[in-house]
Amino acid sequence: MSGDELDLGLGILDHQLVDSEGRNCGNADELEIAGIASGEPEVTEILVGGNAWRSRGMFGRLAAALSGDAVHVPWSEVEKVDSVVKLKKTAAELRLGRGDDRARKFVERLPGS
Amino acid sequence: MKQFLQIALGILSAIGGFVDIGDLVFNTQAGATFGFQLLWVVVVGVIGIIVYSEMCGRVAAISKRPVFDLVRERVGFSAGLGTLIASEIVNLLTCAAEVGGVAIVLQLLSGLPYRYLILLGVIGVVVIAWVLPFEWLERLFGYVGLGLLVFAVAAIKVHPQWGQVAHGFVPGMPAHNHAVYLYFVVGLLGAALTPYEVYFYSSGAVEDGWGAKDLRINKITSVIGYGLGAFLSFALMIVAAVLFLPRGIDPQFLGTPALGAQEALGKVGLILALVGILFAVGGAAIETSFSGAYNVAQFFGWQWGKREKPSGAPRFALSWIIIFVLALGIVMTGYDPVKITEYSVIFSVVALPLTFLPILLVANDPTYMGRYTNGRISNALGIVYFILILVIALSAIPLMVITNGGQG
Repeated sequence: MSGDELDLGLGILDHQLVDSEGRNCGNADELEIAGIASGEPEVTEILVGGNAWRSRGMFGRLAAALSGDAVHVPWSEVEKVDSVVKLKKTAAELRLGRGDDRARKFVERLPGS
Repeated sequence: MKQFLQIALGILSAIGGFVDIGDLVFNTQAGATFGFQLLWVVVVGVIGIIVYSEMCGRVAAISKRPVFDLVRERVGFSAGLGTLIASEIVNLLTCAAEVGGVAIVLQLLSGLPYRYLILLGVIGVVVIAWVLPFEWLERLFGYVGLGLLVFAVAAIKVHPQWGQVAHGFVPGMPAHNHAVYLYFVVGLLGAALTPYEVYFYSSGAVEDGWGAKDLRINKITSVIGYGLGAFLSFALMIVAAVLFLPRGIDPQFLGTPALGAQEALGKVGLILALVGILFAVGGAAIETSFSGAYNVAQFFGWQWGKREKPSGAPRFALSWIIIFVLALGIVMTGYDPVKITEYSVIFSVVALPLTFLPILLVANDPTYMGRYTNGRISNALGIVYFILILVIALSAIPLMVITNGGQG
């Protein structure tokens, strides 16, 4: 694979998303691809969490049924792709990592947190 | 000098951390049932864990990806989630077994009621894991766990017939009891090749920020640390073979191996053995709960790590605490920790192939590894062990059912 080619299945799908502050904020659970009919397919969005899993096999349908809506991250927010997908903004600005925000409210009550 | 010290310390904590409740139970029972005949299986198991921990340490150092990132990236969401669920069940069962072990040893040391000590043990271990930084956890449990070396001394003091011991390193099949023998083969391999060690080792390497310069330490720690750790397994089996087999003692109690150290070395031996076991299983309880938290966080892409303050990786912190709470619930039912250990080891064997395959694939992938892909020896051993793991994964549960958990 040369430097400017990327295998979407192996190189992006299921890879770690990292925000502009270097924090993990989800995985690339599904990709939205537009323009297949026009013959110029391009990735428009990365879908994270929730019902993004519904296209991901038997366990994926089950997991999607038990969780909420996916977060849509426009491709224009992607800074670069190496072993992780680096984003241009913070997780909060992209509405990612909200589960950590909820859990933090609880964890912060414990001493030494 | 500093690097030499770092290597020495790494080796020491690998030795101390090698033995957990699975090794204690299976090595002692194997010695008490088949004498020295199963020593060769420990050698096979240890080479396997050396091969795969070196590989996943190298992958972690070069690609900066821990094991469950790779599982997800290589086998996809659905099969990855299946692997996650299986590994979490095994982590939880193993954590419960280790917690039960902590309570049993505390009871032997203090004489207080078992149920209070389960609660006390879990609270103690959780507070230590919450308060101490990562490297101190490794040191505390690794070094004090070296108390288990008393078994190496005991193995010499009980004067085994060394010719027979040597014979035990040659693979063979006994004249009868084939199914039970094979059950112990699978159990000993499962106890040596526990998946949580691989999750913990690779996540720890990523947390420590390993890079190409750490590959030498990775190799030395896994080869020498685990290699020497194997001697503790030999020792447990030899002591059981000499002391328990001739008297028909069936070590169905976790305190039994410590009695072997007492017989050989008196009261000091007993106390050293109990303290060694306490820290070995206490450290393993923390490793299994962290492994469970590492896996779920990596699978879903959450912020994770012990180096973060709990508020910096809150779902990770909550995850390992929840695992301890669930483990506490399991042990509080009063189910025998030795039985829980047997189940956890046998089920872990079933989860092994899906853990090891992504490591083997990525270790061969130059897009992740550049020029640090597997060499010929790593690949040959990696493939041989993967086939072996597949065979034992398929035979583990049938053998457990046929032999009624090794009872024959």
